[in-house]
Amino acid sequence: MTERKTGVYLCSGCGIGASVDMSKLETIAKTEFKLEPKSHACLCNDDGVGLIKGDIDGGVNQVVVAACSSRVMVDRFAFEPVMTLRADLREKTTWSHPAGDEDTQMLAEDYLRMALASAPKVKAPEPWVDGDYSQRIMVLGGGVTGLTAAAQAAALGHEVLLVERSDRLGGRALEASKRLPHTPPYAQPQDNDIESLLAAVKASPHVSVKMNAVVTRTAGMPGKFAVTFADESIEHVGAIIIATGWRPYDATKLGHLGYGASPKVVTNVQMEGMLKTGSVSAKAVAFIQCAGSRDPDHLPYCSSVCCATSLKQALELIEKDPGTSCYVIYEEMRTPGVAEELYRTAQKAGVIFIKGKVKGVGADLTVTVADELVGQEVPLKGLDLVVLATGMVPNSTNPDAEASDKGPEQLIGDVDPEAPIKVAGYAGEAPADYTKRAQCTPEGGPLLNLQYRQGPHLPVLHDGFADSHYICFPYETRRTGIYTAGPVRRPMDWSEAAEDAQGAVLKAVQAVRSASAGAALHPRVGDLGYPKINLNQCTKCRRCTVECPFGAIDEDEKEYPQVNPTRCRRCGTCMGACPVRTISFDNYSVEFLTSQIKTVKIPDEFSGKPRLLLIACENDAIPALDQAAIKRHTWSAHVRVLPVRCLGSVSLLCISDALSVGYDGVMLMGCKPGDDYQCHFVKGSAMAAERLSKVGETLKSMMLEPERVVQVEASIADSDRLPTVIDDFVAQITKIGFNPFKGF
Amino acid sequence: MSASPTPTGAYDLAFARWVYANVDGGDRMALCMQCGTCSGSCPIGAQMDHGPRKLFMMIRAGLKDQVLASDTIWNCVSCYNCVVRCPRKVPVTYILHDLATVALREGNAAAKASDNARFGSAFWWSAAKYGRTDERLVTAKYYWSFGLGGFIKRGMANQKIAMGMVKTKRMHIGMPHKVKGTGELAKILAKAAEIEARNHG
Repeated sequence: MTERKTGVYLCSGCGIGASVDMSKLETIAKTEFKLEPKSHACLCNDDGVGLIKGDIDGGVNQVVVAACSSRVMVDRFAFEPVMTLRADLREKTTWSHPAGDEDTQMLAEDYLRMALASAPKVKAPEPWVDGDYSQRIMVLGGGVTGLTAAAQAAALGHEVLLVERSDRLGGRALEASKRLPHTPPYAQPQDNDIESLLAAVKASPHVSVKMNAVVTRTAGMPGKFAVTFADESIEHVGAIIIATGWRPYDATKLGHLGYGASPKVVTNVQMEGMLKTGSVSAKAVAFIQCAGSRDPDHLPYCSSVCCATSLKQALELIEKDPGTSCYVIYEEMRTPGVAEELYRTAQKAGVIFIKGKVKGVGADLTVTVADELVGQEVPLKGLDLVVLATGMVPNSTNPDAEASDKGPEQLIGDVDPEAPIKVAGYAGEAPADYTKRAQCTPEGGPLLNLQYRQGPHLPVLHDGFADSHYICFPYETRRTGIYTAGPVRRPMDWSEAAEDAQGAVLKAVQAVRSASAGAALHPRVGDLGYPKINLNQCTKCRRCTVECPFGAIDEDEKEYPQVNPTRCRRCGTCMGACPVRTISFDNYSVEFLTSQIKTVKIPDEFSGKPRLLLIACENDAIPALDQAAIKRHTWSAHVRVLPVRCLGSVSLLCISDALSVGYDGVMLMGCKPGDDYQCHFVKGSAMAAERLSKVGETLKSMMLEPERVVQVEASIADSDRLPTVIDDFVAQITKIGFNPFKGF
Repeated sequence: MSASPTPTGAYDLAFARWVYANVDGGDRMALCMQCGTCSGSCPIGAQMDHGPRKLFMMIRAGLKDQVLASDTIWNCVSCYNCVVRCPRKVPVTYILHDLATVALREGNAAAKASDNARFGSAFWWSAAKYGRTDERLVTAKYYWSFGLGGFIKRGMANQKIAMGMVKTKRMHIGMPHKVKGTGELAKILAKAAEIEARNHG
């Protein structure tokens, strides 16, 4: 590597110069780091950026910008391939602390020191690029979702392998009568147009279809997946879209609603087929909503489409014979989105809605309802047909395959699904121990039979749907390069599934293109670094292979960790897990963090100035703090903020280093862990909480109070709350007293 | 107008469908989604057997007799809070008033016995006959609906008020006041009845 030449640029704009003494900052760079800083009144203007660019042309190969937060002016201070480090003198310094104050000056100086001290520890990353990458996208499942995905991916110029386990394409749509309204005014059932979708896929030269195909094995990583089929053929693909859809809930478990006792009690899926063939001749039909849904004994969730489907079926009946009496017995009518229009149409058409719980269905089809609106139990007599609106079970497993011996444990993809994750040392009131709620996982074997160290299954959420976060990162599973779309991801109807397919295609396209460039995917899009493991120091403890939220690290035959770089999402959870700090990225490492922790000047206990370290997650906590500063909230100037990629990347060594150099307290601020996590890397903050639960004993053995180290949750919307959280922690630490290790 | 059908069992739609077709505003009643905004908005909800929300559900449930016997349809004060607030634009007030008419026409005993029905028919008698409401005659007619005993009892109880009104010229003794041309008024009303019969017949 060429000699490192770091250029340091100080900006006095946006009130920084008026708040802190810039000449003292210059002196620090000169005397402590032997670097020649350049000051500018507005570094982000063309003149300022031109100054930096001129220096880069003159040989500078690393840039430290001491100006605003690293989250703003990112484009202005991007000088790739030269790496830029940022010291925040604006948001977390002058905007959130009083101008001209001694403590504000010390804060600015420390932030500059942190940037300068860490600069020698990192370098511009070299991407992992290795041989051939496939740009081909495999779509598993040939229903509405899969067909749409195949057509869309082909339209984007990618070769598509469409895999269908049965002998015909079209999926459940083939059995459907009409579809829910999907074009304005959304008021009437619309025609089943699966044929046009089938024709579009068949016409595409980029789509190759594999029928009667079952995946037996999937190995590799994004850009390099090798998929083996039951016929022993092997296909190489770059990304996989799972569009396996759903299966109806097993109605034989619904004996209490009369299923099985009479052939006149059918499921909504059977009803759909009857409507398609025109074999319904009933004059009085009752639809029982939530049949086996939102019921702790059956499916605990709402499938979101059964209400609209019953409305559609009732309308189809009334259209055929206006004299038909249709009763919809519901607990809550759930008509998300535009399905409300269908509800109105059904009301206008005279469908009768009865709110209440079904007490029983007799052999003569008498449905007894505890009518909530009239307030009495009423028997509905004279019915010809009872339709049970059953819910959707995701095909996140292969129902035809044997369940693997590890079963649900593997399916959830956690280290130990039974072990409660203890969250210790919360500031304020400690939450109750977090225990996993009852799992609802579909039966069956793995879909892809992944050859991953963390197991063959695609990890699922608590209700068995294969996604990793419905709102924040839809389509993304916890296996990079493998995306889910349609009802396997969450319950949805035809048009939603088609929309979903398009979203997943864009993710898959991004995956194959990023993989071949060695670049990371969401949330660290474009990051070229990847974990490098120094195997000479590795103790084969396997913590990295177990803790990686995305299963990126396998074990080789000698049980050493083996990184699959394109599976990696660059959170650094492996780095935080490694007890011998042998995992690092070119642009991120334990030394990068500890050098920043250690460079801060710790005043002695006679100064009356404590020092606290706030290790904050870049995804939510840092933006929330920036937002707090933009609102001119203030917090204690005794706190030093250290941004990290994810709390999962925080090694306990960072915390013990901080306490041994004399910090009085350490606060970890990150996203919400647990079942309804908000962690951008799924398990990072939970891992941090788990590690922290073990730090209390260590602190006690060091004769330190366990309260000195806490973890708090922060979300992006917490900007008004966080300053108080920080100040309360400072007050708590001040009460405990100074760290006795100070000055050693 | 045809008489409303009597449902044969729970959720027999016969009566509900008749209401949708024949009651003023009934076509929109089909759109009621049972949110309860009407009942929650009603200033005299506490003085009703059932709120409008529940009454509509009872119509669907086929509880015709209970609907027509309820005092909900008589106690509505036409403040129109519910009509303004209904998210489905159901004209609740119209429906309640027209249901009251239906109840009377079909001879529902509870409806006929209700105070508001008695007063309403006395009021309409005077308005239709003279084009004016004569306080003395309306009151007398209303009291008379309770029979001789009721007439005397109520008359005696309100004697003082009546005397006061006469003294301050709020009530007169003598021939009832009339509009000019009561014959024309009778023609107008006959025409209205004809239109109603045509629309709802």
